[in-house]
Amino acid sequence: MQIDQELCTGCGQCVPYCPVNAIRLEDDISEIDFDECAECGNCLRMADCPVDAIYQQELTWPRTVRSILSDPLTIAEESGISGRGTEEMKTNECTGRFKLGAVGIGIEVGRCVTGARFYDVEKVAMAVAKLGVTFEKVNPTTSLMSDPATGKFKDDVLNEKVLSAILEFAIKPEQMPDLFDALKKVSGEIDAVFSLDVATRIAPDGSVPTDPYIQASGLWLAPNGKTNVGLGKPRYQEV
Amino acid sequence: MTHTNHRIGEYLEEDYVILIMPSKDINHVGSGPKLRRYLEMALENGAIKIGDARLGNEYHQGSMQAVLDNLEDRAVVQAVFKDRETLVKALKAYKAADLGQCVVVSGIFDHVVECCKEAGLERHTINQSMGRWGNTDRLPPLEVLQLNTMCGHGMVAVGLINEVIEDIKAGKSTVDEGAERLFSPCMCGIFNPHRAALILKDLTS
Repeated sequence: MQIDQELCTGCGQCVPYCPVNAIRLEDDISEIDFDECAECGNCLRMADCPVDAIYQQELTWPRTVRSILSDPLTIAEESGISGRGTEEMKTNECTGRFKLGAVGIGIEVGRCVTGARFYDVEKVAMAVAKLGVTFEKVNPTTSLMSDPATGKFKDDVLNEKVLSAILEFAIKPEQMPDLFDALKKVSGEIDAVFSLDVATRIAPDGSVPTDPYIQASGLWLAPNGKTNVGLGKPRYQEV
Repeated sequence: MTHTNHRIGEYLEEDYVILIMPSKDINHVGSGPKLRRYLEMALENGAIKIGDARLGNEYHQGSMQAVLDNLEDRAVVQAVFKDRETLVKALKAYKAADLGQCVVVSGIFDHVVECCKEAGLERHTINQSMGRWGNTDRLPPLEVLQLNTMCGHGMVAVGLINEVIEDIKAGKSTVDEGAERLFSPCMCGIFNPHRAALILKDLTS
């Protein structure tokens, strides 16, 4: 995103809308730090610029990555839906993506607030790839990897900044301790924040198969989250 | 993966979001009119906000009616509720209508379990948040995070939250106006202005 310096009157209305603090008033003119801008589109949509000075410049590769993973209204080609993720557990009763005995993991690098460069996304991806995970193919972040087996990303995207990039994969419950260890280690090696999600099929007796592993880890678990209530049809037929 | 999954802070007991979506190549053909009906039922049963992650919220599209009128197949739609009573009513309506789209409820798990029981539904899959990792020293304080995390895409900027708080303190706007202003950048319409107003009242009184 850019601001036409000839048109800008320096009212500052756009400044608070930037999620990554990339807009600053310099000499009474608003200016976007082009390297820090994640191309989320929030300033253009929300600031109501009185002189229409904010404009979307042409996006070319690799900067297009920023829009795909930052602007919630950009539809990713891989997933076919808006946003940065996939259907994940939201349609699990129809897709059978996470069956009993599988744990869906989502690691959203950059969320919340900090945003992320792909240098950091790659560090996290390579840390968990050592566990032998297979990254979700229809996830737009996976499509930016040059080697999904190792979590290596294409060199030309490494400096791109996005609001968040989601690493998605499935593991077995007994792999959770190793995953936690890997994430604790890489946490100290990155500049960004990431959030961690654990998706689980509810067992026939109503229990949550991942609970023993999370409790044993001593790690923080939110009291709130998402519950798929199983209304989708046709249902995936579990063996 | 996460969208509504990392809400933290106060008044979570007054914060529930229903997400409805089809699954690609399974039940997405002809889903647009069904998704519209889900949102209409949400409003009939007490939802305070609706939204469409594909085309934007009521401010971006012009009105709540436009959100309903513009729905397409493969949209991902949401409705926000401020209490369990209205949530249960909506879930009962969804079960009775049996339209076959996928429905996900975000909220305190123990409460959602009870709501599902009241509505005659069984949990299929859950997604739990294990919080924030990495360089968490860069995070703003909790009072700001509890507002920021209500938009999973990060559109409710910290700068805007601080400006809204300052405006309320200065008497330039009310907590309800401030909460609505914070809702407006959340394109999916999942930001809960009812909960935001409660939080803003605490932060500015």
